[in-house]
Amino acid sequence: MANKTKNKGGKAALKAARASVVSKKGLPWGTIAAVAAVVLIAAGVFGYAYVQIDSVKEFTVSEENKDPSENIDGVVRAEYAGSQHVNADQRVAYDQSPPFGGPHDNYWADCSGIVYPVAVRNENMVHSLEHGAVWIAYNPDQVSGAALDTLKAKVEGQPHMMMSPYPGLDSPISLQSWGHQLKLSDANDERIDQFIRSLRANRFQNPEPGGRCDTGGTGFDPANPPPFVAEAPGPDAVKMDGSGIVPQEESEMTTTGAPTPTTTAAQPTQ
Amino acid sequence: MSRARGRAAVYSIAALAVLLVGAAVGMLVTLSVVRPESTPGAGSVDVGFAQDMRVHHLQAITMAGQARDRGADRKVRALAFDIESTQLDQSGRLAGWLAVWDQPELPPPGEPHMRWMPAEGHGGHGAGAAGAGVTRMPGMATSEELAKLRSLSGADLDVYFLQLMLRHHQGGLDMATFAAANAQTEHVRVLAEKIAAGQDAETRLMRSMLAERGAEPLPFP
Repeated sequence: MANKTKNKGGKAALKAARASVVSKKGLPWGTIAAVAAVVLIAAGVFGYAYVQIDSVKEFTVSEENKDPSENIDGVVRAEYAGSQHVNADQRVAYDQSPPFGGPHDNYWADCSGIVYPVAVRNENMVHSLEHGAVWIAYNPDQVSGAALDTLKAKVEGQPHMMMSPYPGLDSPISLQSWGHQLKLSDANDERIDQFIRSLRANRFQNPEPGGRCDTGGTGFDPANPPPFVAEAPGPDAVKMDGSGIVPQEESEMTTTGAPTPTTTAAQPTQ
Repeated sequence: MSRARGRAAVYSIAALAVLLVGAAVGMLVTLSVVRPESTPGAGSVDVGFAQDMRVHHLQAITMAGQARDRGADRKVRALAFDIESTQLDQSGRLAGWLAVWDQPELPPPGEPHMRWMPAEGHGGHGAGAAGAGVTRMPGMATSEELAKLRSLSGADLDVYFLQLMLRHHQGGLDMATFAAANAQTEHVRVLAEKIAAGQDAETRLMRSMLAERGAEPLPFP
């Protein structure tokens, strides 16, 4: 303001006023503001890019991120040995329900994007998990209608995905991958896709990632799968450590096709 | 005192700003995935093609497995064996590259297929605007069709397998042709070319095999 007041003192006064302006101009606020704006923009871009890159990487399997499901709340983990095979007439005393690892049938359940309308024998489903499949199990008394359709859309036609009802399930929905389980109640929960992204055919977490999901030639018929058995297994069941496995019979080695399970005689099959 | 120091401060801040802008540009470059010759990133033709062609192949392998095991005619069984083993090897290559690129080996769940290529490709089957993607890739069989294939046997299985596989090959051709021309890495382009050429030849073979059996191809698209 002062330098703008009218001054009748002539050139000298004007010069003095100018000098005072120059000395007062020690800090070039315009430049500082411009620099600050650039810094803010740069910081914004930096932060945005960082967050974007981070969120994409969060559920992507890599050398640095071998188990992306560690970023998902509620995932239960267990270590299981792979490749322990039981025969069609044996049962396994699984330590989890639904099971997500351990000894399993010689023949895997079809996991090539199949939605089973009926509950399937655990021993076959666990073998598919070994191949890298993600199994969506649901309680048929609690999930139906739109929620069921939402889940089906995540499975039907998708590689290494399978879905089946699981009578008596203690939550509406349960996701299984080898050594990993996540129980939840909402079909729209974002953790479902995160679980699939993180663990399907995960080369670090699945014993045989990318193993076959179709079952041609094994005798497992996806249109008529061995049925789920609700009763607890008896004392003759194979233990989780693999003890109790009966060696494959010579006759079975030469047979093509899975023999009909005999322990499920009580079930209304065929 | 103040003038020299003030100027130094201004220069320091300016230098910091330049560094920050440089870092930000670097991050943006990473984001926009323009790293030719090196690692293809999310959204690239290479990654999109590898993920989608893998899914496409896995279904062909499933269908071929049925005909290889249970086909009535030895020619059909041999063709199925050829398709199955070739595509299984190619699918494994694609998965290996995706792993090395730190990309998902299968398309992320819930996202449409084929966003990496324009929908109007070569008389493309895709609905919607260019790059919007599709939920079902061209040529893919439905679950009902797969169940029907599994339920058939004998000469009926042979014919239905040839029909489904012919349509499947037709559907994969646009994807392979586009990737052969547009992928940034040479090994992806070379594989895509081989897929396009091989499936084109097999398409002609399957047409003649269907004609021999008095059967028509399924409508495509």
